[in-house]
Amino acid sequence: MRLRLLVSAGVLLVALLPCPPCRALLSRGPVPGARKAPQVPQPLDFLQPQPEQPQQPQPRPVLLRMGEEYFLRLGNLNKSPAARLSPESSPLAGDGGSRPSADQAAANFFRALLQQLQLPRSSLDSRAGPAERGAADARGGHQEALERERRSEEPPISLDLTFHLLREVLEMARAEQLAQQAHSNRKLMEIIGK
Amino acid sequence: MLPNFKLQCHFILIFLAALRGDSRYLELQEAADHDPFQLFNANLKRDLAGEQPYRRALRCLDMLSLPGQFTFTADRPQLHCAAFFIGEPEEFITIHYDLVSIDCQGGDFLKVFDGWILKGEKFPSSQDHPLPTTKRYVDFCESGLSRRSTRSSQNVAMIFFRVHEPGNGFTLTVKTDPNLFPCNAISQTPNGRFTLVVPHQHRNCSFSIIYPVAIKISDLTLGHLHGLQLKKPSAGCGGIGDFVELLGGTGLDPSKMMPLADLCYPFHGPAQMKIGCDNTVVRMVSSGKHINRVTFEYRQLEPYELQNADGNSIPEFCLSSL
Repeated sequence: MRLRLLVSAGVLLVALLPCPPCRALLSRGPVPGARKAPQVPQPLDFLQPQPEQPQQPQPRPVLLRMGEEYFLRLGNLNKSPAARLSPESSPLAGDGGSRPSADQAAANFFRALLQQLQLPRSSLDSRAGPAERGAADARGGHQEALERERRSEEPPISLDLTFHLLREVLEMARAEQLAQQAHSNRKLMEIIGK
Repeated sequence: MLPNFKLQCHFILIFLAALRGDSRYLELQEAADHDPFQLFNANLKRDLAGEQPYRRALRCLDMLSLPGQFTFTADRPQLHCAAFFIGEPEEFITIHYDLVSIDCQGGDFLKVFDGWILKGEKFPSSQDHPLPTTKRYVDFCESGLSRRSTRSSQNVAMIFFRVHEPGNGFTLTVKTDPNLFPCNAISQTPNGRFTLVVPHQHRNCSFSIIYPVAIKISDLTLGHLHGLQLKKPSAGCGGIGDFVELLGGTGLDPSKMMPLADLCYPFHGPAQMKIGCDNTVVRMVSSGKHINRVTFEYRQLEPYELQNADGNSIPEFCLSSL
């Protein structure tokens, strides 16, 4: 009887003990495509002061000084871009980029969308009040605290996108998700058999 | 060995094998290759679990609806970028910075927003979200790697970023976690079915469908699920007590949308309404005294339905914006 109880208890313990998942740790490295030039800040050195700067720091853009006070005004679109992504059954680039046409179509769509949305930077800068610009320059050390207070009263960062475009990108994301799900299902079937 | 004990041991062995997942591995093999102990082979489980996460490059304007690892690298100065994240309604989204290489001093930024914000309108609205608006932004340039992971309060989140220097960028991992009682959600699809449950919580919950839809409410419970249903309605619609409201509008923020219908009586059986607005929201207001539940189905309106006003539809308010 005692033996039975012990065996049952031991088995339950083993069965219910949480097992840590075995996952490969992502190794840190330089951002893909990042230049190797020494003036490019390394990710972990980001919070440390830069050892030297090759040139005088540019005056901070007005938009950063204002913090979260501005809208990302990207313009109004009256028509949708021509490119559309049609869902395909072939797997996504997770295993080697075997869907160049679908990804290219999506990339073209977003490139066209961005070209229509983006305004010249000068027009965005001009939205900042010149009075605030001058005031921020004058404040020095108290600038940050005052900016935070001002930031909390101002409209938040936002995106000027129509619902029509939002639906377009949502449908593209859904197509991507379904394609990836199909890929995963096929992999699972290959492992467990038909 | 006693027969009862033998039976228990056999049961335990089967239970263990099922827990380890090896029972999923059923490979057809030649008789010569048949391995009687195949089910106990731990390598097989690793094959299933060892899949690499989904990876791709992140675009300046992007929408992601699946977990994975996404890398943005600026090929030129990218000053106005945003990426939307959306999961299933019963999921949270966690965004984890794997790698960030941006120049905050030079005007770059990377911010996570808890929800979606479009043309200044937020979802969930300020009334329905537990955090004030400023707290819903997590700025990498302010918090650094101390807040490396951010979890959303609902199934949607987004990031805003600006990168001046070509070659700079970031990598982030998006994961989803289950949300047992989703409170605020945006539907990924124009058609579907959802049950919104608010169990003894004093909060307001919204389910948003960013399409013109016909919505059919099949079940509404405002009160205790077991025992006595409320014989009398909750203390009135009109903003008091527990009720469900249907909202329609052209923006994302439910607090700025037009209330189209109030439901404060529990009922079973479908009640249908066509709402020809860009955004339709089912919103439940709960006092916390009851367990409230509403089940509804929705389908996208066809173009001809948007043009013809018939029966129980409210096209006039929203059609002008279409």
